[in-house]
Amino acid sequence: MKNVIEVKNLKREYVTTKGWISRKKESLMAVAGIDFSVKEGEIFGLLGENGAGKTTTIKMLITLLAPTSGVCNVLGYDTFKEADKVRGQINFVFGGEMGVYRRLSARDNLLYFAGLYKIKGEEAKRRTEELLKLVELEAASDRLVETYSKGMIQRLQIARGLINNPKIIFMDEPTVGLDPLGANMLREIIRKLKAEGKTVLLTTHYMQEADDLCDHIAIIHKGKIVAQDTPKQLKVRFGKNGADSTLEEVFLCLCKS
Amino acid sequence: MLMQIIKDTMFLQMKQSFVRPMFRFCLIANPIVNTIFLYEMYLQKGADTFLNYVVLGAGLMGIWSCICFSSIGDINRERYSGTLALIYVAPGGFGKIIFGKVLGNTMLSLLTFVISYITACVLSAFTWGEESSGIEKFLSTIIHIENIGYFIFASVMLILTFVLISICFAFILMLSRKTELYMNLLEIPLIFICGFTFPVEVLPQWIQNISNCLAPTWAVRMLRSSQMNWESFGILCIELLVLLLLTWVLYKWVDRRIRINATLEVS
Ligand SMILES: Nc1ncnc2c1ncn2[C@@H]1O[C@H](COP(=O)(O)OP(=O)(O)OP(=O)(O)O)[C@@H](O)[C@H]1O
Ligand SMILES: [Mg+2]
Repeated sequence: MKNVIEVKNLKREYVTTKGWISRKKESLMAVAGIDFSVKEGEIFGLLGENGAGKTTTIKMLITLLAPTSGVCNVLGYDTFKEADKVRGQINFVFGGEMGVYRRLSARDNLLYFAGLYKIKGEEAKRRTEELLKLVELEAASDRLVETYSKGMIQRLQIARGLINNPKIIFMDEPTVGLDPLGANMLREIIRKLKAEGKTVLLTTHYMQEADDLCDHIAIIHKGKIVAQDTPKQLKVRFGKNGADSTLEEVFLCLCKS
Repeated sequence: MLMQIIKDTMFLQMKQSFVRPMFRFCLIANPIVNTIFLYEMYLQKGADTFLNYVVLGAGLMGIWSCICFSSIGDINRERYSGTLALIYVAPGGFGKIIFGKVLGNTMLSLLTFVISYITACVLSAFTWGEESSGIEKFLSTIIHIENIGYFIFASVMLILTFVLISICFAFILMLSRKTELYMNLLEIPLIFICGFTFPVEVLPQWIQNISNCLAPTWAVRMLRSSQMNWESFGILCIELLVLLLLTWVLYKWVDRRIRINATLEVS
């Protein structure tokens, strides 16, 4: 299996300016040189405490942010210089209630984004209905998104992230705010995507979820990867009780130090 | 496909703009109030100024405030709702999307002309209720556009000018959300400098020099003259060309900078 994501010594620094008169520059190394690769058809988990640099890493992979230095390749293309070649083939889902047009219905949201992803009329309609069904929003599909609950918005986001039938899908805390049913539905969707041969990169704060879903996991701490392996091997290597320990124990052990 | 994206975005934008109270205020209330003021101010000036300075003046003010407060603010709204990042990475290209948005808003804001026209008609009926000659004089000037073909042509040039300016500001806003602040500062001065409500000629020479460098001044001049003036048209074309070039350079530059500076989101 070939690598669809390749990251080498990737760094990203944020520079912010403070103050009115004497403008002070402050810089923060959000991602401080990380290496990993993801194989085609794999579910890859990126775990780490708040502010570890997970979202920043994903943003660089989805061509939203320029790396400060290092290699950041998706499907063999540089995500900064060859962004145009990457964009149509990937998509992403960010957790939370952002990223939808609240004054449109779910169906209109999906149809609009289908257009932006250059999907033509009939095909766009077919795809939209298919996805509404997949995320179980058919009944509410003509209501304005304004009137949706958090979980419904989240499910709409997931549908939007699949609109272009992406080869790789990036999910940043996709289950945050979902009820157990919704979270379960999402996990089923992720497994289905894997069965279709798609690659999924996801972050989550639910260790059990990562354990269940991921083929490989990288744990990132203060912008650096501190461990990277299969869930099973991580437990063997870092858990107190070897293979019987939980991923949570591994996480706590690695991120406390 | 390219047209499809622009068209979809344009209609989406019109829909979204129209449901917003601030936009409706700029679109409807603002031209009514401005028409009333301008009407009173120009009451003594004779009928020929009515079309040119009352109706067109209030209409232009209305369009411009729709652009300053709404079209431009839309970028920030999309930033706060998290959709700005989505449309930026869509493979259709954010340039087309911005163009569609601006076009939608500009088309919608043309309604200000209709509103100020209706207001002026109603006002004249009231003010000159007894003196029928007044109404006649007014209506004959206001309805009588000497050369419809030319008027439409000049209007298209005006729309083009406003669209290009809005796109420039939208790009800058993608880079810095503070731009909105400067837009608020720019609103009133531009109305005077470009002669929306008074002829530019009443301004001091040094301001007139600035006016002449700005494309809207010439677009407005074209709209006000009753027939083709090749000099105005030529200068406007040159200034629009410069503006187009600037827009293109800005597009390329902004496309890089937003990814380097991480300005598309609030976090
Ligand atoms: N636009 C920005 N400007 C400045 N600093 C930023 C910006 N975005 C993120 N940061 C900083 O970079 C660091 C990493 O942030 P990031 O969002 O990648 O963390 P994360 O791992 O996704 O955390 P969480 O689990 O809370 O989502 C944080 O310290 C954050 O404050
Ligand atoms: Mg995050």
